[in-house]
Amino acid sequence: MNQNRRAFLRSSSAMIALPMMESFGFQRFAKAATPAASPKRMAFLAMGWGVTKESWYPDPKTTGTDYTLPPGLSPLERHQGDITVIQNLANQFNHEAHWGSTFYLTGANRYAEPGQSFHNSISVDQVAAEHFGLETRFTSIQLGCKGASGDGHGPGLSLSWDKRGKPIAGLDTPIAAFHRLFASDDTPLEQQQATLTKRRSILDTVMEDARSVSKGLSSNDVDKLDEYMQSIRDIEVRIAKEEDWLEVPKKQPSQELKEPNAKVQGFEEVKIMHDLMVAAMQVDASRVFTYRQPVHTFIQSLGATISGHNMSHYDQGARREVSEMRDQKNSELLARLIDKLKNSKEPDGSSLFDHVNLTFGSNIHSVHHLVNCPTVVTGGGAGFVHGRHLVMDDPKTPLCNLWLTQLRGLGIEAESHGDSNGTIDELFVA
Amino acid sequence: MILKMTRLLSVTFSLLFPLAIEARDAPLAHMPEKHFAFFESYCVDCHDDVNTEGSLDLYEVDFDLSTIQSAETWQKILNSINSGEMPPDNKKQPSDEDKTAFLEDLSQQLVEARALLSDTGGEITMRRLNRREYENTIYDLLGIRVNAEDLPDDQNPGGFDTAGGSLFFSSDQFEQYHKIAKRILEGAFVWGKAPDPKTTRVQIEEKINKRVTNQLAKLREAWDRAQAWRNSDGGDPTDFGFIDSDRVKFEEGNYKREAPGYEAYLKHPNTKSGGVLHTSFNGALVATPDLPGSLPSGHYKIRVKAAVLNDKIPYERRFIEYGNRVGGEVGGEINVQGCIHVTGTMEKPQVIEIPIFLRKDDSRFFGIRERQVNNRDFAREIFRQARAQDKPFPDPAMWVDWIEWEGPFLDEWPPKSQKAILEKSIDQKMDSAAARKVFENFATKAFRGRKPSPAYLDKLVVLFETELASNGKPVLSLIEPLAVILSSPSFLYLSEPYEKPWIENDKKPYPERVPLTKREFAIRLAYFLWSSPPDEELMEVAMSGDLKKPEVLRQQVDRMLDDPRSWEFITGFTHQWLHMERLDFFNYNHRLYPHFDESVKESARNEVFHTIQYILDERRPVGDLLNPDYLVVNDVLINYYRLKALRGGIEGTEFRKLAIPEDNPRGGLLGMAAILAMGSDGERTSPVERGAWIMRKLLHNPPPPAPPNVPQLSRNADKPISARQLLNLHNEEAQCAQCHKKIDPLGFGLEHFDAAGLWREKERAEVVQGRRVVKTQNHKIDDSGTLPDGTPFANFNQLRKEVGKREKDFAQGFTEHLIEYGLGRPFGFTDLNLADSIMAQARKEDYAMREFVHALAQSKAFRLK
Repeated sequence: MNQNRRAFLRSSSAMIALPMMESFGFQRFAKAATPAASPKRMAFLAMGWGVTKESWYPDPKTTGTDYTLPPGLSPLERHQGDITVIQNLANQFNHEAHWGSTFYLTGANRYAEPGQSFHNSISVDQVAAEHFGLETRFTSIQLGCKGASGDGHGPGLSLSWDKRGKPIAGLDTPIAAFHRLFASDDTPLEQQQATLTKRRSILDTVMEDARSVSKGLSSNDVDKLDEYMQSIRDIEVRIAKEEDWLEVPKKQPSQELKEPNAKVQGFEEVKIMHDLMVAAMQVDASRVFTYRQPVHTFIQSLGATISGHNMSHYDQGARREVSEMRDQKNSELLARLIDKLKNSKEPDGSSLFDHVNLTFGSNIHSVHHLVNCPTVVTGGGAGFVHGRHLVMDDPKTPLCNLWLTQLRGLGIEAESHGDSNGTIDELFVA
Repeated sequence: MILKMTRLLSVTFSLLFPLAIEARDAPLAHMPEKHFAFFESYCVDCHDDVNTEGSLDLYEVDFDLSTIQSAETWQKILNSINSGEMPPDNKKQPSDEDKTAFLEDLSQQLVEARALLSDTGGEITMRRLNRREYENTIYDLLGIRVNAEDLPDDQNPGGFDTAGGSLFFSSDQFEQYHKIAKRILEGAFVWGKAPDPKTTRVQIEEKINKRVTNQLAKLREAWDRAQAWRNSDGGDPTDFGFIDSDRVKFEEGNYKREAPGYEAYLKHPNTKSGGVLHTSFNGALVATPDLPGSLPSGHYKIRVKAAVLNDKIPYERRFIEYGNRVGGEVGGEINVQGCIHVTGTMEKPQVIEIPIFLRKDDSRFFGIRERQVNNRDFAREIFRQARAQDKPFPDPAMWVDWIEWEGPFLDEWPPKSQKAILEKSIDQKMDSAAARKVFENFATKAFRGRKPSPAYLDKLVVLFETELASNGKPVLSLIEPLAVILSSPSFLYLSEPYEKPWIENDKKPYPERVPLTKREFAIRLAYFLWSSPPDEELMEVAMSGDLKKPEVLRQQVDRMLDDPRSWEFITGFTHQWLHMERLDFFNYNHRLYPHFDESVKESARNEVFHTIQYILDERRPVGDLLNPDYLVVNDVLINYYRLKALRGGIEGTEFRKLAIPEDNPRGGLLGMAAILAMGSDGERTSPVERGAWIMRKLLHNPPPPAPPNVPQLSRNADKPISARQLLNLHNEEAQCAQCHKKIDPLGFGLEHFDAAGLWREKERAEVVQGRRVVKTQNHKIDDSGTLPDGTPFANFNQLRKEVGKREKDFAQGFTEHLIEYGLGRPFGFTDLNLADSIMAQARKEDYAMREFVHALAQSKAFRLK
C-alpha cells in the first residue's frame, strides 16, 4: 500500500469521531429502528483435520458444570464458565474422511442429486446472513487460508455455500481481508461512482455474451451457465450495496489497524485474522463470519517439520506431539479471541462477546473419524447457558441440530437446517 | 477358409460400426439375497417390523440399491457395522467369516450403486476452462505465459480437472478472471525498439569473499566484546552492547561454531579466483547472476563456469541445482527447476548454459547451489556433523568461477500479444470504428472461431469510448474491453450449443444426444490432446469437413500426438490418472532418506511422464508400463537407482531409453521411485497404500474407498515391529479384513523398496519420541504374497510378472480413465459399450497406447454433445 493511502487511513480513522455505532447507517436504514439493541452476530472457526482425541475431549462421564478441561482445551480455563463443549454431534451423510469443512455447516448429502457425483446445500452462516446481512456493508465475511483443501478442509472455497449449494470464495490472506474490510478508497467520490458505473457496464456486456451462449444449450449446460450468470447477478447486488455505502467511509476500529505483513503465515496469521474479525465486529462491517483456519502452515510455524496430513495420522511419538501442540495453540488463540471479544464494548456498555454466537470445531473428529465432531460454543448471542460439558445421548445427534438451535437462539425462525431432526434445548436451560 | 472369411468380415464390420459390439445391459447394484441370513441371525431382533430400532425395519430394506434412499440405508448399515457399533456388544456377534463376506459384498455394491446413481447418461456438460487450459489458451492467443495461481484450484473430488460438472464458478472468480486478464493485457503492447540482449557477468569471488569477510568481521567483533566483558570482572553486559549475559554466551557460541568455517573458506585455495559451493550454518551457498528486477519477460541464458574440485569427489556430489528463491529468506532453499551434472575439472573447467524463461511475475532472484535436500534443517545437520568431526565446514565439492546472464531473447517484435490485437502498428488510428474491428477480430479468435454478437460489440465499443473519454489514450483504452472479452463465457467456457433452432417454451433436454459441429469437434480434440485451442491446420481441416474421414482424423491425431503440445495431455492425464498428487502430500524425512532430494523427486515424477511419452511415440503397448525390459531415465535416476554399470552412455538430464536385464527391480510402474514413494507417508512404507494403488490402477479391481470411523492401528506404535507385523492386526477385525486381505498382501510384494523407492535388504523399524530415536530393530524382508484372485507370488519379481500377465485388466482401467478425461465427465455405465469398442480396436494393435487415443477420437461418443 502506498504512503498516501496509509496516510488517508489514519486521517479517516481520526475523522470518525464518536459516537461510533450510532452515527452511521441508521439515517440510511430507517428500519433499524432500535439503535439501543446491540446487533447479534454469528461466527464459525473450522480446524480442518480434527483434534487429538485422547487429549482434547473432556471425560464423557463428567458432564454439566463439574468437569475438567483436558490438556487440549486447557488454555481456555479462564473462560470455562463462558464456553460449552458438546460431544456426540455428527454429520450423518459425510463419508469423506479428508473433508472436514465441505459439509460442516451444511449437513448435505454429497450423493443427493441423481446424475451428479457432488452436491451441497446452503451453509448455516448463509441462512443467518440472509437476516443479519441487510444492515451492514458486508452481508457476510468468509476468511480462509492458502492450501486449505490439503488442510483437511476438503473441497470448497470457504466454509460457506450459497443457497444453490455453490461454494463462496474466501479471503485467503490477512492482506486480502484487511483490504476488503478496512482499506479506504481515496479517489474522489465522483470517480468512485464512475468506477461502479463501469463495473456495471462490464457485467452488462458479459451478460450479453452469456445470453448468446445460452441459445441452444441443453438443460445441464443451462445449469452450468447459470452458475456464471448467477455470479454476475451476485456482483450486481454487491455493487448496488456498495453504491448505497459509497458515501459512508469504511469505519476504522478504535485501535488503529496496520496493513498486515504479506509474509506472515501460520500462528501469527490466525492471530491477525482473529483481530480483523473482532475489528470488523467493532465497526459493524458485517455480522456473519466464517474462517477456515490453516493447519499445515500453522504447525510449520510452530516448528513442526511434518505436513498437516502426516500429523493427522498421529499415533504415538513425534506426530502425536505435534498434534497435541496444535490443539493447545488453537485453544490458546481461541482464548485470546474470547478475551478480545469480552474487552470490546458496545455503545450500551455490553461487550461484543455478549451478542455473538461463536463455534469452534470441525467435521473431522480425529484421524479418519467423522463421529463426535469436536465442538466448542461460546458467546452470549444465542442465549445459551455456558460453563457446561454436554454429551448428547444419541451418539449421532445431527450437527445440524446445533446449527438450528443457534439460528433459533439468535432469533431466526428457521424450520430446519440440513438434516436436523430437532433442537438442543438443554443449551438454553441451566 | 470360411472361418477366416467370417473373421475378416466381422473385423471390417466392427471398423465400420465401432458401436456394433454386443450392447451391454444396464448393470444393477444388488445385494445378494443370501445376506438376508446375516440379518436373520444378528439384526432382526431389534430391527424388524415390530422393534424398528433406529427406525430401521430390515424386512423393508430393498436389496436393489437402485435409489438414493436405498443406497443411503445400506450406507448406514455399512457404517454401523464397520465402526463396530452394530451389533451391540451385548448381542450375539457374527463370526468373522460371516461378517467379512457380508461387508465385502456390501462395500462393493455400494461403490457400484454410487457410480450408477451419478451416471450422467452420457451427456457432456459444458465446461469452464480449467487452470491448465486457461494458461495454455492465453499463451496460444497472446504468446504470454501467465501464472494463474490466483485462480482457484479446480478441485474435483476424485476425478479429472476436465469434468465440466465439477468446475464451479463463483462471483469472486469472475473478478479474478477480469483482474488477471487486465494484468495480462497491460503487458501486451510495446512502444519503441526491441530491447537488445545484454550480457552481464558476476565474478563470484568479488561477491562472496566480501560477504564472508563481513560476516566473519561481525562475529569477531562480537567475540572481542564478549571477551572484553569477561575480562571486565563483573561488568554490566549492557555496557558492552549485550542485553544480558545469556546474549554473551549466544554470541560466543555463534563465533565458535561459524567463524572457523568462514576463515577456512577465505583460506581455501580455490576462493581466490572464484567461489566454492559449500554449506554453512545458514544453509547452502546460493550463487546468483544478479538478474535486475526490471528485466522484461523473455528467454534468457544463464551461464556458469564450474568445475569439480578434485577427482575424489563422489559422483552424486557432482550436480548443481538451479531455481528461484522461495518466498522466505531461509538460507539455501530454492525452488528447484533443474539439476545439471558438472563434468569440468579444475584443470579444464566447463561452461554450463541454462536456458530459462522469465514470465512477467516471476521472481528475478535466480541462483545455483550444490544439489541437496531442499531444507535448511538438513543443511544445518550436515554442517553440525562436520563440526563434530572438527572440520570447519562440510567438505565442498564444486567450484564456480563466474556466473552470467544474457538476454532477453524475444521470439518476435512487436510481440505476438500486440499482433494478435492490432492489425497494423501501435500508432494506427484508433477511433470507435477501428476499435470495433479490433474487438470483433480478437473476440472471434478468443472465442475459438465463434463470432461475437453485434449487441456485444456495441457494448464493448461503449466501454472503449468511456475509457477514452477519461484517459485520452486510444490504445490503452482497448485494455478494459479486451479484458471483458477474456472474462466472457464464450472464452471461459467450451460450449457446445445445439445449432438447430430450439422449440421455444420447450425447456426439456433433447430427445437424443446431438452431434458436435465441425468447429466444436476440433476444439474438443485440441483440448483433449493439447489442453489448448486448435491450431490453424486443425481448424482448417475440420472446417473443410475432412475430419469426418477416419483416415484424415487419424492423421491429425498422429500429428497432434507428435507435437510438443501433447506433453500437456501426457502430464495432465497421467498425473491425475495415477493420483500422483500424493507425491506432494508428504515431506520425506531427510534423516532417513537423504538421497531423495528435489532433483530426484522431480526426475522420478518425470520418469513416469517420459515413459508414457516413449510408449506413445514408439507405438508400444500399454503393457510396457507393467513389466518391460527397459527404462526411460536420466542421469539423476541412474545414479539414484544405482544403475551406473548399465548406464550405456546416458549422461545429462535428458530422458532416454535404457535396456535392463529381466531380474532388475526397475522397469514398469512398480519399479518407479515416484510410484513407490507415493505409497508411503514420507517416513515408512505403506503396504496398504501401495496395495490399494495396484488394485485401482493396475488390476482394475478398485477396493472400496477407505471407510471413515474404522479404528486406526496404533496399538503397537510403541514397538519397533515390521510393517507386515503391524498390518497383521487387520486380520483380527472382520471389518478390516474384508478389504485388507486383498490389499495388504499385494503391498507386501513391494516391501523391498523403502519409503523413497530405494531397494533395501532389511526393514529398519524405529520408535521415535520427540526428535529422539528410542528403539530400533531390523527386520528381514518377506516380499511374498497373493494377488486378489488368489495367485501366490514368492517375491517382487514374480508379483511384477503376474501383474504383467494381466495387461487386459490394466488396459480396461486405462480406457475408462481416458474416456473420463477426454469426454470431461465421470465414467459411467453408459460408457461400457464405448470402452468395449475401444478395447476391441486397441487389441488389434496389441494394445498400443496410441491406438486407444485413436479409438476414442474416432468413436461416435467423441462426436456427440
